[in-house]
Amino acid sequence: MIITVTPNPAIDKIYWVERLCLDDGELPVMRATRSYLTAGGKGINVSIFLARMGIENIAMGFIAGETGRAVERRVRDEGITTNFIWVEGETRTNVTILERGHEQRPIQITEQGPTVSPEALKRFIVQYKRALSRARYVFLGGSLPPGVPVQFYQELTHLAHQHRVPVIVNAAGEALAHALTERPWLIKPDTRQHRNVSGVSLRTPQEIVSAGKAWIADGIGAVLVSHHITHDLLITREGVWDLEACDVRFKNLLGAEDALIAGTLSAIVQGASLLEATRFGMAAATASAESEELVVTDRTAIERVLPRIQIEQL
Amino acid sequence: MKVKEIMTKDLTAAEPTMTVRELIELFYRSGLSSVPVVNEEGRIVGIISERDIIEGALPGYFEVLYGITDMNHLSQKLREIENDRIEFYMTPEVITIEEDEDDLTAADLMIRKNVKSLPVVNKDGILVGMLRRIDLLKDLL
Repeated sequence: MIITVTPNPAIDKIYWVERLCLDDGELPVMRATRSYLTAGGKGINVSIFLARMGIENIAMGFIAGETGRAVERRVRDEGITTNFIWVEGETRTNVTILERGHEQRPIQITEQGPTVSPEALKRFIVQYKRALSRARYVFLGGSLPPGVPVQFYQELTHLAHQHRVPVIVNAAGEALAHALTERPWLIKPDTRQHRNVSGVSLRTPQEIVSAGKAWIADGIGAVLVSHHITHDLLITREGVWDLEACDVRFKNLLGAEDALIAGTLSAIVQGASLLEATRFGMAAATASAESEELVVTDRTAIERVLPRIQIEQL
Repeated sequence: MKVKEIMTKDLTAAEPTMTVRELIELFYRSGLSSVPVVNEEGRIVGIISERDIIEGALPGYFEVLYGITDMNHLSQKLREIENDRIEFYMTPEVITIEEDEDDLTAADLMIRKNVKSLPVVNKDGILVGMLRRIDLLKDLL
């Protein structure tokens, strides 16, 4: 059983428009040519991917209000076991607008999410500890809602390690920096908005490799960083690899990062080495980027992309 | 069909040490009206419903007070027990079903015991979901 934790889930609403007309001097009305609604948040996206690959998992986090109900229903409809904590307020709705021909630069409006009370946090920890007794891996991902301390992932990693459960952290900023002190098994810094972790710059491949090697020396199992739209770096104790997706025809980058980590985790659970698993994850990310679907979960479609994922040891 | 194929895969549960106030908050936010009570390992030690709380505050309420006119009385009684642990009000004898049982066995059990839902456990007795009447009805369509 895999546990995924999404502290700040969302309903993701995506609109495709022919043209963004924000500068016309008139009140802009844009008609969507297509729209898509899904339960979202990093952990939930990973859960959905795993479930569609036939891997049992538990989705945990904080939800609230009618949007929270919608999230829970959609997650359950995927056959995922739910174990959410209900809080006051309303779960986020995040809106993304994709303009035809400019899909690589989506416009995103994200909400903050409901405030999590100390009592809700306490209840979460109780349920999380209970779930750990059945867990093989824990995935922690995404932003923290108001009320959740930046040490949250650090505490969850610590508790998982007490149960000898490996942890994957896909986060940014202080939440990731604190989690690093517990030395997770795999980290995937979210570099979309923050190109540094604990003051360490992750802007160039050289900086990423240098930071990754330092983290590995400090006891972290492996580091996976996207350093270019088509390049990921995998740093482990055994070496450093650059994975490149070739001839990508971008349609939608929104779910690519989640597909990368979910694909990697699914392949690991099914017995692949970390390098092979990352290659599968990158194929999943590429397939997602080439589709209007948020995260592609069709194994055949992913395997079709695999030959275009090239690996070079640095 | 096996129970695990049709059950609601939800692990929402209470702990025996939870207070009545916390349980009411859980019911209110989640929309649930009863939950299993589990220990630290996830084994079921009881089940508790809204009705148990009302009866805890006003024993005999359902039998004698159909014509209640003063809600202040119930409110006062609820406040008196709000910090009590729910273990004092839960039903400790719980009818459960194993996840590998078939739907017919589950339906038969629900009819014979006149219950609306059954906690589903794995072979180790750990809570893995809930089987509701609606899950069975949906399965039958």
